[in-house]
Amino acid sequence: MYPQPAYTAVAARQTLQRPTPAPAVEPPKAKKVSWSPGVRGYVQRAFDADNAMAGIETPEMQQRLKIVITQAAEAGQLETIDWTVYPLPQHLIQAERNAAALSSTHAAHIANLNNATSYLSNGAYSPERNNKRKNGDLGATAGEESELTPPWKKNNTNKGSLEDRMTGKSKKQDKKQKKNDAFRANNLGTDAHVLEKRKQRFGYTSPEPSPYPSSRNDSPERTGPLVGTCQKIEKSYFRLTAPPAPDTVRPLRILEQALSHIRTKWKNEHNYNYACDQLKSLRQDLTVQHIQNELTAKVYECHARIALEMKDLGEYNQCQTQLRALYKSGVPGRSEEFTAYRILYTVYTCNRTDMNNLLADLTQADKQKSGVQHALQVRSALASGNYHKFFRLYRDAPFMGPYLLDMIIQRERIAAMAAICRAYKPDVSLSFIAQELAFFGDGDSPELDASQQCLEFLCEHGGEAFIDRTVVDNVRFQTGKAIQAFQDQRAAAFRSVDIKGQI
Amino acid sequence: MSTIMDGLWDDFAKANETPDGYLLATTISPEAPASDPARLYNWPKWTNAYSLQTDLRYKLQYNPALSLSKAESGAWLDVFTAYYAFTGKLLAAEEAQNAGNHREADWNSVYESWKEVLSAVYRGYSGNIFEAWTIPCLYAVGKYLRIFAIKADDKAAATQRDSGLAFGGLQEEDAFSATSKNEKLEDAARQINRIFALCLGDRNPLEDSRKWALYYTANLLFKTYFRLNSIPLSKNILRSLRAGAADTPPLSAFPKAHQVTFNYYSGVLAFLEEDYATAESYLLSAYQLCNKDAKRNLEMILMYLIPTKLLTSHKLPTKELLQQSPKLDRLFTPFCTAIKRADLRAFNAALEAGEDEFVKRRVYLTLERGRDILLRNLWRKVFLAGGFETPKEGEAATAPPVRKTRIPVREIAAALRLAGASEIDDGEGGVDADEVECMVANTIYKNHMKGYIARDRGMVVLSKAGAFPGTGV
Repeated sequence: MYPQPAYTAVAARQTLQRPTPAPAVEPPKAKKVSWSPGVRGYVQRAFDADNAMAGIETPEMQQRLKIVITQAAEAGQLETIDWTVYPLPQHLIQAERNAAALSSTHAAHIANLNNATSYLSNGAYSPERNNKRKNGDLGATAGEESELTPPWKKNNTNKGSLEDRMTGKSKKQDKKQKKNDAFRANNLGTDAHVLEKRKQRFGYTSPEPSPYPSSRNDSPERTGPLVGTCQKIEKSYFRLTAPPAPDTVRPLRILEQALSHIRTKWKNEHNYNYACDQLKSLRQDLTVQHIQNELTAKVYECHARIALEMKDLGEYNQCQTQLRALYKSGVPGRSEEFTAYRILYTVYTCNRTDMNNLLADLTQADKQKSGVQHALQVRSALASGNYHKFFRLYRDAPFMGPYLLDMIIQRERIAAMAAICRAYKPDVSLSFIAQELAFFGDGDSPELDASQQCLEFLCEHGGEAFIDRTVVDNVRFQTGKAIQAFQDQRAAAFRSVDIKGQI
Repeated sequence: MSTIMDGLWDDFAKANETPDGYLLATTISPEAPASDPARLYNWPKWTNAYSLQTDLRYKLQYNPALSLSKAESGAWLDVFTAYYAFTGKLLAAEEAQNAGNHREADWNSVYESWKEVLSAVYRGYSGNIFEAWTIPCLYAVGKYLRIFAIKADDKAAATQRDSGLAFGGLQEEDAFSATSKNEKLEDAARQINRIFALCLGDRNPLEDSRKWALYYTANLLFKTYFRLNSIPLSKNILRSLRAGAADTPPLSAFPKAHQVTFNYYSGVLAFLEEDYATAESYLLSAYQLCNKDAKRNLEMILMYLIPTKLLTSHKLPTKELLQQSPKLDRLFTPFCTAIKRADLRAFNAALEAGEDEFVKRRVYLTLERGRDILLRNLWRKVFLAGGFETPKEGEAATAPPVRKTRIPVREIAAALRLAGASEIDDGEGGVDADEVECMVANTIYKNHMKGYIARDRGMVVLSKAGAFPGTGV
């Protein structure tokens, strides 16, 4: 009949009443859920006296149990979680406490505060439920009840069956639970921030960055650390917010394979994003399983080298820190190589305190190693301004030293030019400068190429005006006139040391 | 009543009467005074936990010899209650230590109980109960808190198996986080910081002010932060002091001991920042104020003053000065001699010999720069050895002889070789002239020498007048 109208017909409102909102999704807790045998077994084991842990009271454990089950139910994971291996609530609490004790006393303080206050806010009905459990058997008097429960809780008609306690049927308990969770989540979520702020106020700026231990999510320590079961070689990195399920974590064997896989792929494809992502995930898997052996060192070394190649100093610094800690705790690895890198890195960042600390840390054995000696010579050459020696050492740098030295070379070349301009009059040959400042050419005519690079360098830094090409074969640079130009350049180069990414 | 504690209570009464803050402080000191060596042992004999409160009350509130206000006696009651608990712990730990049972000595609880004493004393001040003359008590609690913290940490370190690094949580992909193996000392630092803030914020007029404890407390904090290797925190203290300077009496009004220590630490802090001018003035004041008999203090000050002066005025200490202290003599005499004689070989040897100590004190990097002075001295020797120009034709015979200002690079290279510079060897038995030129260039760049290098002629041309500023040549 008619063509489709160009508008969309909508039923007009006939009344002023607001349309009723869509019925809220009923929280699964409100439903009468039948518990799988796995969950039942889990709960039973949690309450089992044999599994009780010293220092963890039953009410606290119950609380935790409730949270665990509720979270699982909310996430719909009641069936998927393997309850036979899932850590018991008391173990979770214990692990939390351990982590809190290991971390700064502030964190422990906060965690304790949270535990205490959360306990307090729930304490109102925990003893009550406890009470009711006893009451169920013994039939206590109302008087006994009133001693333990505040008056506003007396109306709670919780029957006290196991399932009810777990699911928290009454609305009040729901609200309390939600509030408690939110309270906990907030406080512990900002835990890291509070910790960080406190630590910063206190200024414990150790040279290494310190990833702050979260006192909330710890590896569930039941009979030992987590052992993964995932068999995938490749795995992307996701930040953890809860204890990982074992089937997402790769065991040691797979991790070894993963490392070689990543290495080969890096060699072939040079895809830094991919490599970084995979390596971070590798590191994470190692951490959650508390693996601290040669493989861990290899992983960090690999990542550090790759980061160095791609000039990612932030990532490199992180790996460097972890490696230092690993070596210190006795894990074997390429300590000579990485100590040398550390020295060169500290030279680059011009951080005197770090350098002082680093020198104090070096052992006699360290100083005997040629790689370390080379780095120390670089340091002392630069400290005394001996550019000649420095550029010699630059040519002979072992391992991947050149990558680090490449970062310093630009500013050191400027510094050398400043000295050369002050000292040499009236001019010097370009070839001298090219040679002194380690410009190597490549290709067929290296000398010509080197001169070309040198010229580019000089022009880049305001030296164009002082190049004297009157004699064709002997280009000269008028040092006497260029003094101020290069002095300014030098001041600028050393003023700002780029340490982006360094924590 | 038993009279074994009379010594203490007499002192207490006398202190309150005089008033004598230092005497008062001895009553709560962990060390018994010479006049009453068994004092700490007498505490548990005199009373026990059950009758502690009554006995103390008797001595503090109902004592005719004392006239304390109610608040004061209440505060002292708290203090002595905590002190009593402390003596119990201290004696137990000391006994275990003396019996050779080191693992049993519980210095941790000694620390914690002394912290209680500190808290009680702190409350006395924060509630404005104790008067300002009593502040030596603050000195005592702070000083010993530090000492006990160090003891407790040492004990913890001895029993700990790991390297002081613990696992991070699951949130991180990395395993290690640097946790502190100086837990108690950090805690002590926080406590002393509280005292510092308390003193800084005192609004009372100066005669009655806790501000007089400021520098002592600041010094305690410096000692603690240095031990914790945390320089930024020390800088915070300096900043706070500067901020409150308007209401605080000048440093010179404080006891000399406080001044010397404060100047020392300020000097060292400036030194670590490479602000050598400031460092020199602080360290010099410390040195001059310091008691001539305080050998160890003088040694510590000189340890930093010598490198500082080396850099600022290129001056070296005299032999007599160094010989006053065996340690300084050992460390610095060969070093200074090498510089004076422009002997590179000896310089490197001296630096290496003292390397561990220099690095530990963080003066190594500064001392390295002594090499610049050494080289300057070397060039100067070559210059002086070069002799004088033959007077030109037509010049008056009475004109003062002028030294030769053109020095061949070859001569300088030879001098370097004599001095033991192995770095200029080019590996083939010859000399790397470029390296030599580089070293000369640096001396010119750093303004230790006036002149230039004429590369084509292989010569160093020095300025006719004042080629070596500051040396009279």
